[in-house]
Amino acid sequence: MSDTFTALALKIEETPLSLAMAESAWLFPTVESLHVIGLTLVVGSIAIVDLRLLGLASRSRAPQELFRAALPVTWGAFLVAAITGLLLFAAKPTSYLGNPFFLAKIALLALAGLNMAAFHRVLEPQLAGAPGGPAASVGVRVAAGTSLALWTAIVVCGRWIGFSI
Amino acid sequence: MASFNSILTEVAAWVSGSPAFTVVAGVSWIIPALQSVHILAVAVVMGSAAMVDLRVLGVVERHRPVGESLERYLPPLFWAVLVLAITGVILIVGEPTRAPFRVIFWAKLGLVAAGVTLTGLLARRLRGADPGAAAKALAVATLLTWAAVIFAGRWIGYANPWPGAPL
Repeated sequence: MSDTFTALALKIEETPLSLAMAESAWLFPTVESLHVIGLTLVVGSIAIVDLRLLGLASRSRAPQELFRAALPVTWGAFLVAAITGLLLFAAKPTSYLGNPFFLAKIALLALAGLNMAAFHRVLEPQLAGAPGGPAASVGVRVAAGTSLALWTAIVVCGRWIGFSI
Repeated sequence: MASFNSILTEVAAWVSGSPAFTVVAGVSWIIPALQSVHILAVAVVMGSAAMVDLRVLGVVERHRPVGESLERYLPPLFWAVLVLAITGVILIVGEPTRAPFRVIFWAKLGLVAAGVTLTGLLARRLRGADPGAAAKALAVATLLTWAAVIFAGRWIGYANPWPGAPL
């Protein structure tokens, strides 16, 4: 961990928010519960889309129609998971920054974001107006499989943080 | 409660002496791995339940028949509940004196039963019909129940055991 991050972590630890998260007996588990609700909705709704793109489920549905239904759930839940995640981080920033599973989780989240951005810019236009049916290009299937693998790994790293901090 | 506690204590002692306990408790990565699978299955339940309940509420896929959402999302939801039961049982085998001696664990099981029942009732009410006010109320209740299951599950790790629980 670099000195800048150490200094930042120490600054965060002095904030009232960080002290409240660290000292209250019920605040951390409550925020953690909301984090789990958010992240399970994120992963569940992304899986619905990815499985469609892989041709493994919802095959009769046009992919873009499914995006319109599932992605608002993904983004709403992601907002909840991100806010609660920041609050959990604020409780003990120094410990998290020194935890390999936390760092891996953040890196994997960044990769999942890049994968999603690349999909929307490059591959999604191919799907515009595509009817139902299993056919999707290799690129689309690779992006969807990568997304599923990354989100699975994010959940696994998240759970491992709790055993290593 | 006293006799329930003593039955659970005997079961926990028996489990602690079994080879299954030795494996699950003795290999350090098994419990975090099972918990990871457990959470991934919760994600399937939450994603499926959200899509069904939001459809019933008319928030998503308003132009599609409700029956389509039920057919698509209820089977994975119930399979995921089965995975949750299996991983849950193995987790308890690995730590037999933890969850079963906490009130919140039994509250969680009650809430899971309520979630499954409400989902079944909702599916029955919707068979071939457009969702009315009662179905919408059921959809909200179902989603809140699953959220409560997550709360109770997370609190198992923080709650104290009841008095008289084995150490």
